[in-house]
Amino acid sequence: MDLALQTIKTGFIKAIKTTLMLMKVVLPVYALVVLVKYSPVMTFLEGIFEPAMKIFRLPGEAVVPLITGLFTDEYGAIAASSQFGFTGAEITTIAMMGLVCHSLPVEYALSRQIGLPAGKFVLYRVFAAIIVGLIISRLGGVFL
Amino acid sequence: MTASWSVILNEIFTGSISTVLNVLKVLIPLMILIEFFHVYHVMEKLAKKLAPVTKVLGLSPPAILPLLVATVMGVTYGTGTLIEMNKRSPLPKKDFILIAVFFFTCHGIIETTAIWGTAGASMLVISVGRLLFAGVFTMVAARLPIFKGPEYAEEQQEE
Repeated sequence: MDLALQTIKTGFIKAIKTTLMLMKVVLPVYALVVLVKYSPVMTFLEGIFEPAMKIFRLPGEAVVPLITGLFTDEYGAIAASSQFGFTGAEITTIAMMGLVCHSLPVEYALSRQIGLPAGKFVLYRVFAAIIVGLIISRLGGVFL
Repeated sequence: MTASWSVILNEIFTGSISTVLNVLKVLIPLMILIEFFHVYHVMEKLAKKLAPVTKVLGLSPPAILPLLVATVMGVTYGTGTLIEMNKRSPLPKKDFILIAVFFFTCHGIIETTAIWGTAGASMLVISVGRLLFAGVFTMVAARLPIFKGPEYAEEQQEE
């Protein structure tokens, strides 16, 4: 019984710690994305990436959570995607692509440290995200 | 700017706080569940039953444990398990690379599915779909010709 209580406590503390770490990511990301969303940069970004996003059946805005995810992490991507009115199928595609390919700078450093060919893995993840995006965008809607 | 600064500031604060709160609602029960898995060695027990899966993926049987831990509980626990295992008996280099292929495609399935689920994504696709993709990518990678090189020859003789 004692062990169970201790476990609940440890889990709770870990959740709080993760949330604090999360706020450090979410707050600046959110602020930046809101600013970009209302600035002329957004129309510019949408225009450039619209054709590329069309391949994944996404609107041009989808490039914002995807790029955010590349440099921060999946929580950054969530913070960024919650500001646009994406449909369920679109969110699913963004989630799948973002989950395969996220926080590249941090994870590059990590994988180097444990002795992996880090550069090759970055390429692999980008490539994998594209394949996953292509397939899911055509299947995602089926499940919703 | 197409909106006034008060609207923008208001959106930043209410929006980011509600995002964090939404995540927190999911995270607390999850972290407790994951901690229970850790304390009661649930993954070790499950790993024994799932050992045959490694053959399909092209891995050696002991590799199932870090794979399972990372998939279910998250990458921090997964790498922890991997490093611990490496201290006792080092995994073959091929396994190490293949585990990374799997890790990078699919990790922390409970946590990410729940969190993206609250954001409106299809939970079925994100969990099962990601597992399938990770499995297929690992299977393909295991059969790539790069593993026929001399640095991997030692391991293949052991089999």
